[in-house]
Amino acid sequence: MALSLPDIDWNATLCQVPGFMVHPGLPIWAGAVVASAVLLGSGLALFSAPPTRVRAWHLELARVPLIGAWIRWLTTSPWPLLALRFIVVGFFLMVIVAGLYGTPIPERNLATALTWNLWWAGLIISVFFLGSAWCAVCPWDALATWLVRRRLWGRGNAGSSLNLRVPRAVRNVWPALALFVGLTWLELGVGVTTSPYATASLALLMVVLATVSLALFERKAFCRYFCPVGRTVGFYAQLAPVELRPVNTDTCARCTTLDCYHGNDAVEPCPTHLVMGRLTQNTYCTSCGNCAQSCPHQNVGWRLRPPSVEAVQEARPHWDEAWFMLGLLALTGFHGVTMMPFWEGWIRELGRFIGDSGQLLWSFSIGLAVSLSLPILLYALCVGMTHRLTRRAVPYKRLFAGLAFVALPLAFAYHLAHNLSHLVLESAGIGTLFTNPLGLGTQPLSEVERHLRHADMLIPQGALYGIQAALMIFGFWIALMVIRHRGRALFPEGQALQRWSLLPMLVFVVVITAFHLGLLMQPMIMRM
Amino acid sequence: MRFWAMILAGMLWCGAASAHHVLGRPAYSLNEDSNTPPSMEVETQIGDYFVTFMAFPAFPRPNEPGRVNLYATRIDDGAPFDGKVTFKVRDDSWFSDNEETLGIQPPDDHVFRQGFVFSKAGDYIVTAYFEDGGEPYVVDFPLRIGAPSSIGPLGITVGVILAVLVGVSIFQRKRMERLKLRRHQDVVREPR
Repeated sequence: MALSLPDIDWNATLCQVPGFMVHPGLPIWAGAVVASAVLLGSGLALFSAPPTRVRAWHLELARVPLIGAWIRWLTTSPWPLLALRFIVVGFFLMVIVAGLYGTPIPERNLATALTWNLWWAGLIISVFFLGSAWCAVCPWDALATWLVRRRLWGRGNAGSSLNLRVPRAVRNVWPALALFVGLTWLELGVGVTTSPYATASLALLMVVLATVSLALFERKAFCRYFCPVGRTVGFYAQLAPVELRPVNTDTCARCTTLDCYHGNDAVEPCPTHLVMGRLTQNTYCTSCGNCAQSCPHQNVGWRLRPPSVEAVQEARPHWDEAWFMLGLLALTGFHGVTMMPFWEGWIRELGRFIGDSGQLLWSFSIGLAVSLSLPILLYALCVGMTHRLTRRAVPYKRLFAGLAFVALPLAFAYHLAHNLSHLVLESAGIGTLFTNPLGLGTQPLSEVERHLRHADMLIPQGALYGIQAALMIFGFWIALMVIRHRGRALFPEGQALQRWSLLPMLVFVVVITAFHLGLLMQPMIMRM
Repeated sequence: MRFWAMILAGMLWCGAASAHHVLGRPAYSLNEDSNTPPSMEVETQIGDYFVTFMAFPAFPRPNEPGRVNLYATRIDDGAPFDGKVTFKVRDDSWFSDNEETLGIQPPDDHVFRQGFVFSKAGDYIVTAYFEDGGEPYVVDFPLRIGAPSSIGPLGITVGVILAVLVGVSIFQRKRMERLKLRRHQDVVREPR
């Protein structure tokens, strides 16, 4: 049978380095557009007047004609969420079965393809539209809840958990950051992404962690303190255009029962200890809707908002959270670096230098540590210079925590742009996996099939480049706003001074944006 | 008698596999010019050598002949190693130290080819040993015979979750009993 190839410009679409599937990076025109926007934005930031407080607009989705009633039903009824949880858990169990019993060929097994090509890449993109909605249907938490509470919905038996308080030392996001670094090590160093068996084992491990945590600690300590995915989604959700908030804050001020926090006879309390009347940031909201279902005044609903307002001024700075945001920035950049053609050469050289052998995990670990340290050191240096330029008007630690929000849009924008490449280029053909999720009797992809899959992009290549360039500009612009508004909040009496004293922070933003742009302009090696 | 036996099998060339970009991570490949079953390839680095190890077929089964091919080149100048390579194999399961020599192979067009047949499914480690410039080189490669055990991760998961849930349940029951007893004692004391 003759194989008909689609009309593809192979040179522009895929570079065939022997043995690798490599996608060309952003073209020069896209890089030039981003660079021009960076120059223009920097000039505007330096020479424009100090900003005033952002007056954020909000749109209550429950009041929107046509969809309002539907949104209200989705928010206050437990059934839609339960149905979604069943569906997601169904896919999750399919991943476990496929991973443990299916073929070890990663591109032919649903476990690896669905987990890493679709979910892991699409998860971050979902935050851009839906905030932390993923947490509401998370299968790790759903299975843990069903196992421990022994109920599919509603308030479970309080005696099913020891309800211990989480030790003070780990009542922060350090454990989630440590687990995120560990997950990155497993993903990129050990290569869990190319092993269906390891993918399924990792999925089971997460269920064990969620279940043990729920059985031992009060509420959902795993979601709040330990889950690397939940915290990543939570921090990025600060930049989401949706939020779950009180409809009328006066109603909350008069409320004496605090059902949103304590729950009621039928609905569980807030899993992450949030009081709706005082909620100003999405970071720890898991979008579970318990507050909306339990509120006796029906005063909780979803609303639209400007995507930057939370990171720019509303979120409160904390020391551990600052480190998490910087960790996110470093780890997203590291993901990109490991998919560059030069990475393997670097690691090989390092391996030779330190006498590492085999899978070069020591060399990889050193590379990871260096990649984690460099952006954080640069940030610390820039904050230090700002500290000096402002004549130490604000303690260094407060400045460090307060300005760390600048890392969030930079990390989010690059993460989105990077994951978009994976999603667009690697998710082709995933539909066929559902007909044979275990990949039984399949052979590895041949080079021709591999080419055809990567050429079968979800959106045109030009559109992909355009979106990636727009995302870079979006991240840079929000980061600029963070500097200006957080600077105004930190130095309210020195507004005339702050523009130039915040110059080191502007340099930080420009350097990181240039680094991310450079990575996006490099050819990128695909996972499978 | 050893629990598994190996027989040297034929030495056949298998189709070239595409390299993966991360060292030491197995990659499965199929050459579209060939109708042979897929092969598994691992690349690694040790000392002055870059080593490529290939197992054929990619998913060997018990009592099915298979081959491993090894190709070693110097990292500095790309010169292939042309001494002799000793292949050994050991059982990688817990509490087992069975090791057997598969054979000592000279280069055949710079490739060291070693055949095998395993009688039992399981996880094995194939060790390639060679010397160059007085330096010993030992390279271990994992080799899976048959399908991996799916009971392991599932069993551990179910075991841990059951243990925790049962433990919490027992602890809570005792706590409730103590609470009831204390309340009862308080009620008895009250009339005084």
